[in-house]
Amino acid sequence: MNEIDYNLPKQTHDIFAIMARGHFISSNGTKDNMSRLYDIINNPENFDRLQAFFNVIRYNVERGNNYFYFSRLNEANSLIEQKLETFERYIDVIDLFASMDNKITIGSRFRPSEIAEECNANVRLKQKLQKIPMYRSETLLNKVRDICNLMTRDSFLELEDEQTESYKVLDAYTYLLDMINAISIYEETTGTDSNSSGIILN
Amino acid sequence: MALQVNVNDILSQLYQNRGVVEFLFANRENITVNELLSREDISADQYQKLKSLDLVYEYESVVSLNDAVVAMFEDFMEIGEVTPGFINDYINELKRHIRFYQEVHEHRFLRSIKKYLKRINVALTREIIKLQKNVDDTYKNEANYRIKIHKLEDYREKRDTIIDFIRKTEEIITDTRQLFVHTNDQELYGIVNSLKINLIENLDFLIEIQTDITDYINKIQFQLDVYVKAQRLKEIKDHGTLHYRTNFNEVIKDINSLRFNNIKGPRTKIAIDFLFTDEGHVLCKKVAEKYKLSRLMMRGIAGKLPSNFKDQIIDNQIKLDVEKLVDRFLNQNKLNLFEYLIDYKFPKAVGNITFEDRLSLFVEITMEYQNNLDFKYRLNYHDYLDNEKVKKRLGYTLILPLTKKEKVMK
Repeated sequence: MNEIDYNLPKQTHDIFAIMARGHFISSNGTKDNMSRLYDIINNPENFDRLQAFFNVIRYNVERGNNYFYFSRLNEANSLIEQKLETFERYIDVIDLFASMDNKITIGSRFRPSEIAEECNANVRLKQKLQKIPMYRSETLLNKVRDICNLMTRDSFLELEDEQTESYKVLDAYTYLLDMINAISIYEETTGTDSNSSGIILN
Repeated sequence: MALQVNVNDILSQLYQNRGVVEFLFANRENITVNELLSREDISADQYQKLKSLDLVYEYESVVSLNDAVVAMFEDFMEIGEVTPGFINDYINELKRHIRFYQEVHEHRFLRSIKKYLKRINVALTREIIKLQKNVDDTYKNEANYRIKIHKLEDYREKRDTIIDFIRKTEEIITDTRQLFVHTNDQELYGIVNSLKINLIENLDFLIEIQTDITDYINKIQFQLDVYVKAQRLKEIKDHGTLHYRTNFNEVIKDINSLRFNNIKGPRTKIAIDFLFTDEGHVLCKKVAEKYKLSRLMMRGIAGKLPSNFKDQIIDNQIKLDVEKLVDRFLNQNKLNLFEYLIDYKFPKAVGNITFEDRLSLFVEITMEYQNNLDFKYRLNYHDYLDNEKVKKRLGYTLILPLTKKEKVMK
């Protein structure tokens, strides 16, 4: 059996190589021909073929808003603690992005130094940034850099220009926003709620 | 205008300086006079000539092309800002000429009518294509979200204007149908027909654009809403109640992407057959190179030393002494290991101990008793005469016995 029998696009390997690493394929990505790969997966015929093909090896192509990623079929999602930690940190990061004057959203371009500058000028932002738990980052700028690195590794950002150190926010960022949107906050209706929070605070 | 100009002048000037024109068109709004004059393909005279023809403007030493020239290029390339306003002018002109024609059926008015009908047709299509491009571009590349929303709202207005013009044009065509039939002009019939088809197509296209714009605005709105929510979540998190007052845990538990479940990409072993190929050989070499740096390889090299002990008997006898020798060395603190060994008076029973043997012993001790020795990582030098009575100098590492304190710590 080869690719022709399945009638798969010839980029199938590239797609697999990116997504099996746990990365997202975003429509506005530029590295590794990403936007082209996105278009290929987005083509309905290709999508069905790729889905069928990857399902054989128990990968499932998940479609988001202008991005794709893999999940595993029939596998219990594990590592709950690590995941909670990761996403708690992402709440911190998104909160920081959301509190900036020039909000960073999909398609935004920015340089870590800009964020560090703004945080330096604004005490509220500075505190937010300082409280984000990252290892071994002493200066504000290094901390922002670490955050950018982290998000690039998770393929939410792309280092567009190494010389000027400018990043671009990819469509995969929607994934984080969707996640936040999915969380529902229980409204404090009863007295027990405020009691319980009181206990935790003490 | 400074000089009397004609088409020929303008065209030849543009052509002569086509490199400059292209450069200015590509870099609108940020080229200074000095930057421009530093280019090889334009002299100060040529620049003055262009300026005198009003083909370029200079403002606060920033050079820009004449807007009319820029607009012409943009029109041909179907890029630039959406400017539906002049379609209105065309429509008014069209109406005017139709009025003239209704009064006197003269051919010259009919020709103008055809001209404006054609122009409206082309302009509508072009503006719509530009609108589409701009909407897309704004959504994808405008960094500031507030400007983004404003721009998109503006485009929505422009879209409404264009729809208005399409309706107006349709009205005119239906109103003057009788008139056009009377002219019995085949060309006019063709123009009107293609215009009608295009109007319908363009209307469809605009509706599509409208969905895009709405979609984009909704998406941005969604992002803003989510940001507000993120800030609230952060507040809740700072109060330490994230796990209790929200369903954060459940949502995260359901996250199924590979990365956040720590599922690594599949790793395969190298096929043995591959290692026998040329590429495989290169790979092996690389691996070998890499491992040379590690401690493992250092030990491997040191392993060759025992071959220095040519005389097996002496070797064995010396070996018996080594432990005592080291003990004695450790209990003194005047000499370093090298000096100690060189000067040490071995019992006669051992036989003649050569300089080389002492060196081997030095290496052996450093290797086997490294935990009891204090390596200073400094070089001392030892001068001696070799077998051919030539002066030689040998560098060796300064090694002292570990002091008691350090021993305890180990």
